[in-house]
Amino acid sequence: MDEFVKPAPPVEDIETYAQDIVDTVREPLLMLDTTLRVRSANRAFYQTFHVTSEETENRLIYELGNGQWDIPALRTLLEDVIPTSSVFNDFELEHTFPMIGRRVMLLNGRKLRAGLHAELLVLAMEDVTERRHAEEEVAKAKDAAETANKTKSLFLANMSHELRTPLNAILGYSEMLQEEATERQLEKEFGSDLKKINAAGKHLLALINDILDLSKIEAGKMELFLESFDLGELIEEVATTIRPIVEKNANTLSIERAENLGVMHADQIKVRQALFNLLSNAVKFTQGGTVTVHAGREIMDEREWMVIRVSDTGIGLSPEQIVKLFQDFTQADASTTRKFGGTGLGLALTRRFCQMMGGDVTVHSHAGEGSVFTIKLPAVVRETKTELIREVTRLAGSVAAIDEADSGEPLPNATYVLVIDDDPTQRDLIERFLTKEGFCVRTAASGEAGLRLARQLRPVAITLDVMMPDMDGWNVLLALKHDANLREIPVIMVTMVDDPKRGFTLGAADYATKPVDHARLSQLLKKYTCPHPPCPVLVVEDDAATREVTRAILEKEGWAVTEAAHGHAALACMERERPCLILLDLMMPEMDGFEFAAQVRQRPEWRAIPIIVLTARDLTVKDRQRLSGFVERILLKAGDSHEELLRQLRDLLNEWAPPPATLA
Amino acid sequence: MPKILLVEDNEMNRDMLSRRLLRHGYEVVLALDGQSGVEMTVSEAPDLVLMDMSLPVLDGWEATRRLKANLATGHIPVIALTAHAMSSDREKALEAGCDDYDTKPIELPRLLSKIEVLLGGGERTPAAKSIL
Repeated sequence: MDEFVKPAPPVEDIETYAQDIVDTVREPLLMLDTTLRVRSANRAFYQTFHVTSEETENRLIYELGNGQWDIPALRTLLEDVIPTSSVFNDFELEHTFPMIGRRVMLLNGRKLRAGLHAELLVLAMEDVTERRHAEEEVAKAKDAAETANKTKSLFLANMSHELRTPLNAILGYSEMLQEEATERQLEKEFGSDLKKINAAGKHLLALINDILDLSKIEAGKMELFLESFDLGELIEEVATTIRPIVEKNANTLSIERAENLGVMHADQIKVRQALFNLLSNAVKFTQGGTVTVHAGREIMDEREWMVIRVSDTGIGLSPEQIVKLFQDFTQADASTTRKFGGTGLGLALTRRFCQMMGGDVTVHSHAGEGSVFTIKLPAVVRETKTELIREVTRLAGSVAAIDEADSGEPLPNATYVLVIDDDPTQRDLIERFLTKEGFCVRTAASGEAGLRLARQLRPVAITLDVMMPDMDGWNVLLALKHDANLREIPVIMVTMVDDPKRGFTLGAADYATKPVDHARLSQLLKKYTCPHPPCPVLVVEDDAATREVTRAILEKEGWAVTEAAHGHAALACMERERPCLILLDLMMPEMDGFEFAAQVRQRPEWRAIPIIVLTARDLTVKDRQRLSGFVERILLKAGDSHEELLRQLRDLLNEWAPPPATLA
Repeated sequence: MPKILLVEDNEMNRDMLSRRLLRHGYEVVLALDGQSGVEMTVSEAPDLVLMDMSLPVLDGWEATRRLKANLATGHIPVIALTAHAMSSDREKALEAGCDDYDTKPIELPRLLSKIEVLLGGGERTPAAKSIL
């Protein structure tokens, strides 16, 4: 067989051939032997680093170019990583090189045997400095744009307020002059002019209010005020307001109400405004036609919905116009503004309002054939944080299109719960439990990683371990609450400490309603038994009678009671003696309970003192959030089993961010 | 002639509302901030107080809380005047002890009917939302 084998080409030829190949590669390459001496380099290397082959070959890599390659991170890579693996990818090296300045390099390496050489290490360097810069610029630009948008919203909100003050004067004085004109029988001369001033003022006011509402929504400041009201009555009311415009355009308004319409529970002001917007559009864009309002109660997806249909026989809309219809500041086309007036905010607001309440507004229309707008709202709107978060998420632009109205499905990006905990066992425990309960869980092992993930994921809720090395839970919490994009995300502080003394809940621990019920309070107090009675307890309450009753109960249970009539006095008491427990009234002069609790939580040495709130009524969700300040609620471990803690965690998360499975 | 105390810091609003109330046959006394509002409720003993909520020195909520807590003035009905229909303002006003509220800009007929209800509805309006 040997005679058929061609003679091997000379070694030099192979070397030249190989060198030609590596010289065509545009990335700098270094070939090192096992002692980290340079066998050879390619042309790109010499060009990039402005060195010659004489200065390079057979030298230790660390000696190249006056030691510019003697980089600690590179030493680690070459001496610790390489010997144990034959390939590595994308090792990021940031270093200032004397000739070319600060660079970010991605290093890729491979060990190989070539020809007669002993083992070689090929090191390829990709300069990603520009790419990194570009990425940073993009991130910066995005931040700047978001800040600018917030500033704009805030400006609009303030400006609208400033505009309204003089406008109120215009409206008020023109009304006064009208009254005076009537009294002095000068109505003929001035009446109609004064009416015009007043009408124009009212129009301007309505426009300003729209802008204010929109900027409030954008700033995440729009709230729902839920109450029960008769939808039929509301429709009649709106119809009465709109009647003058109906008549002006020679339209007929017809109202059809289903028998079973009845009462709904929602934000009445927003429902009224939504309906008013649809109706005023319908009558504005219809001449000598019919506008019909049909309202009914329907069951869809096992939930009760209020469906209000506003149909007209007006000019209708083309498909292109429908697309733009619900966008802010956009009307069907620009000429519409001149012809029909309006800011183009009405429909955008209507949709936002409906979505805030868990519903939506939709349109069916053909140009020339009239339009049908349909408002669909839950018969009982629930005040969950989810709506708010959806809104925030949506505004943050992380989700392009939503249609959650029908299914109540949370947004794909908004369904994450982020678990931040340094203890892998706890992390795993919480993750498995919550996943089983239908949540999508992501975890982070440190505060920094948690913050990064939070920015990336915009989770619907975060559970946060209090005790962590490096950055503890409180600092993570502060960072979260100082980030405008993350501020709205509910945070649940989880304390899993084994020391029962530290296991006290850290927010407002509990609350009791007033008048103080003896049994309930002593039941509550059982949780807070102190090791060496009598333990000091501080009662902060402005009403002397309540203070007395509370003192009696507490003393019977073995507590040493100090009383304070308001927040300031209470803080002074605390400076003198640190209580083990605080009973706190919310409504007080000087400094109220909310403010007091916030002050207490600012002092690290006081943070752990449990506070039981005494309140005249059941606390609303909002109160509770306010009370706990930064924190939604903090779970305690103390004697509780893990199951108990996880169960509480699930209940809390369900309150703010129900997983898809539990929504139906 | 029923006497109304108007607590309002904005000069034009004060001028407008007081003149219109005068025209409708009310005696009007004026206070420019929450603190003097509380003091004048005691010294003037009005039949009703119209209280702007965003006031200097002492805001309208706190002023209302104080005069509702005072036995001498607690029975005097207070109507809160709040800016725009901010639902939280409305809640806060009722929480502070206001008997009713109205939003600015004032629609006089609506405000007048509220005033009449509170004045005609008996000499002692129970402190509807008193604490406890």
